Parts: sequence; structure tokens; C-alpha cells
Amino acid sequence: MRVMSAARAFVLAFLLCWAQVAFADVAVPPLTGRVVDTTGTLSSSDIGTQSQRLQDLQRRKGSQIAVLIVPTTAPETIEQFSIRAAETWKIGRKKIDDGALLVVAKNDHKLRIEVGYGLEGALTDVTARRIIDETIVPRFKSNDFSGGIAAGITRMIGVIDGEPLPVPAPEVSHESNDALLMFLNPLNPFTLFFLFAVGAISRSLLGRLIGSVLTGGLMGWFAWYSLGSIGVAAIAGAIVSALTFFADSLIAANQSFQRDYQRSHRGRGGWSSSSSSSWGGGGGWSSGSSSSSDSDSSFSGGGGSFGGGGASGSW
Amino acid sequence: MRKFFTVLATLATLSLTNCGYNAIQTNDEQVKANWSEVVNQYQRRADLVPNLVNSVKGFAQQEKDVLIGVTNARSKVGSIQATPEVLNDPAAFQRFQQAQGELTGALSRLLVVTENYPTLKSDALFRDLTSQLEGTENRITVARNRYIKSVQDYNVGIRTFPNNLTAMVFGYKPKPNFTVDNEKEISSAPKVDFGTK
Repeated sequence: MRVMSAARAFVLAFLLCWAQVAFADVAVPPLTGRVVDTTGTLSSSDIGTQSQRLQDLQRRKGSQIAVLIVPTTAPETIEQFSIRAAETWKIGRKKIDDGALLVVAKNDHKLRIEVGYGLEGALTDVTARRIIDETIVPRFKSNDFSGGIAAGITRMIGVIDGEPLPVPAPEVSHESNDALLMFLNPLNPFTLFFLFAVGAISRSLLGRLIGSVLTGGLMGWFAWYSLGSIGVAAIAGAIVSALTFFADSLIAANQSFQRDYQRSHRGRGGWSSSSSSSWGGGGGWSSGSSSSSDSDSSFSGGGGSFGGGGASGSW
Repeated sequence: MRKFFTVLATLATLSLTNCGYNAIQTNDEQVKANWSEVVNQYQRRADLVPNLVNSVKGFAQQEKDVLIGVTNARSKVGSIQATPEVLNDPAAFQRFQQAQGELTGALSRLLVVTENYPTLKSDALFRDLTSQLEGTENRITVARNRYIKSVQDYNVGIRTFPNNLTAMVFGYKPKPNFTVDNEKEISSAPKVDFGTK
């Protein structure tokens, strides 16, 4: 009997652990586009129109605005939720921090404009409050959600257009160092060949271990420079140094494989030529990141930070 | 001999890195940066107070007590030096926290009082000032939360093995955080005032 009650208490305590999870805060929805509506309030054409306008703004000024509509933010206040969403999505350019987020909690009848550090001078608390009180709230009161959001975005865009922000980087300066970036892209076949050449030379000059470590370090530096992530760079460097270390056996294996392959598939292209073309065309890192400003399906935050500026309102 | 010293220096460097000396430095700087942001936002609020008091004065002269309360709390806040050294002195930290808490209370009392003056509430300047105050209070909350998180990282860092030995040797002590008691007092103050009014 004793044992039973102890077991029951244990199970209860265990369940309580799960109850804690059930009461956790509302999760921030994934950033699927510039307008994220989890309530189904806006029609898809509304979402398309507004996304297009926000995309134009980003192309013109570099600044990112996103809209998030959720049913409720309970148990958090809208301020707590919106700063969490802003920290998760990181909209706005890195270091320029020119992002703004319009959060609407539909069933709570609350909304908030969260302003990134870089826009606090233009989209001040006062301006944000005026946009909410004068433009958005009257329309929300008459249940015109798409109209309120459209008009609010219009005013936010107007404010940002009047602000002298740094010119958007992707279109202007990307062209000039495109070649360099492409060369530094670790998935570029040309770079790979270059690295293998360096690896072969340094290996023959310095010996197997030092040469491969040196090549790996070079690759890591390349990856770090072009991708900006030390973790990825370290992995890339480790892979390349391992590859260099075992390069001769790999090449030997490849050659014997190629011989076998050509023997069985006579008349078709060899391994090396087909592999290099598939690597080049397979959509490398640089194409994915540079097209994020062009096509809306791959919209992502630029790394902007927020400090709680902006204003809240209710209707 | 020289070789011996080289080995010793390498060993010392490696063991310091392994025992979290660098991590302690990083966390320490993060705490200081976040503390500066907290102080910065409190300063912003203190700068708003004179304008706010003046704009209320024009409409609600008879609320002298409340206005004097805000002004006194403001001057008390101004007299406390909030240098990063405050972080190594729990008593000074407590004083800073208390002074800011008093200003928070006084400001919320002022805002409650202004509810009785419709002309003041519709005054454009006053409305702008209150939205600036609200925005600043929210920034303070965000800055405090970030400070709390960085202090947590720092304190966990210097209390876990083997970093605690390094911290002991170099004299790094746990940093004070915004306490739960005070948190409660600050966040519930406006609600109590609304009830009695």
C-alpha cells in the first residue's frame, strides 16, 4: 500500500514537470515571410501585397519591416512577447539595426510596434504611438484589419523613407567583390582545386602532417572570412586537412574508380568532369544568401538588434 | 633552463584557458556592458522627469505632494553614482536599486493623479511625454532582463568547477542581481496605487 502511494506521488510529481511545459510562453512562429499571420485574418492576396511593399522598401532603403499576427500572447504581455519575437527573428541589418516589427495580438486586442536600435531616432516612441493611435487603432476598431495594417505600414515606410540610412549593401557593393566572394566560397570547385593544389605543394614541402594542417588552416580562414561563422570554418578546415592528409590515397582510389567507371560506362563523361559541374550548379552558399533580398520565400532577418523601443496600444 | 620556462609558460597559459580564466573575463565584460545599458536607460528616464513635472504643473498645480515626491525621488536618483564598481558592492547596488524603485513608484503615482485631469490627458505635449516614459520603462525592463541573464551566466561560470578555483585565486566574486523581492515591489507598485485611488 505504502509503495503504491509512493509510486502515485512519484507519477504525480513527474506529471507536474510536464504541466510546467504546458504553461510555457507562446512560441514565436517561424519567420516564413515578411507578413506572418497565424490567425488567418489576412487573405493571401493581402499578405502578398504587403510583403511586396516591404520587399520594395528593403530594396530601396535596406530596412526590414515584418508583421506578426498571433491570437494571444498570454501569459506574457505584448511587450515581453514582441521583444522575444524581435530577438528571435533578428530583422534589420546587422550593426545598422534598422528593423521594425508590428505585432498584433488579435484576441487580446493589443498591438505593438517594436523598433530596432537604428530606427529609434526616426521611428521614435512618440511616432510609433501616433501611428498606432491615429492610424491603426481606428481601423481595427471597425474590424478592418487588413486596412489598418496596410495604413500602418504606409506610415512606417514614410517615416523610414525620410531617414538617411546607409545604402542597402546587397545591390550596390555586392557586384564589386562578387568575384572575391565567389572565390572564397568553400564550395566553389575552383577554390577546391586551388586548395588541393596548395595542399599537394605544402605536403610535399613540409611533410604530410604539417602540410595538411596548414592547408586546413587556410581553408578554415577562407570559410571564416566568407561565411563569418567560426564553427563552420573549423569544421571546413578540419575536413580539408583530413582530405589533404589522405589525399594521395584518395586520388589513387578515385583514379581506380574512374578507370572502373569508364570501363563500364564507355562513351559517357568521366567522374571528374561531371562532379565539378554538379558542385558548381548545386546552389552554393553565396547564391542562397544573396537571393534572400530578391525572392520573398527565403526572407530572413539580417541580424538587427532591439532594445525595447517603440510603443504599444490597444483597441 | 630556457626550455623549462617555455614549457612552464605554455602550461600556465593552457591551464588558465582550461580553468575558464578567459570565459570569466568575457562574462565579466558582458555583465558590465549590460549594466551600462541599464544605467543608460535609467538615466534616460531621469532626464524625462523635469519635462514631465513641468507639463503636469501647468494643469494640476494642486497636486503638490505628488509632484514634490517625484522631484525628490529624481534628485535622489541623481545623487547615486552608478559606476561599474557598484556591481562589486552589494550594498551600493541595493541603494541604487532602491532609489530607482522609489522613482518608479513616484512616477506611477503621478500618472495615476493625472487621470483626474482630462485637459492634461488630452494635451499633446503631455501625451508625447507619457509615451516616451512608457517606451523608456520598457527599455529599462529589457535592459534589466539582459543584465539578469548575463549575471546568471557570470555567476554560474565562477561557481562551477574548475572555474571556481580560478575565480578564487583572482578574487572574482558573484555579482548582485535584481532580487525577486524588489522585482515584486517595483512591478506591483502601480497596481496598488490604482486600487487606492
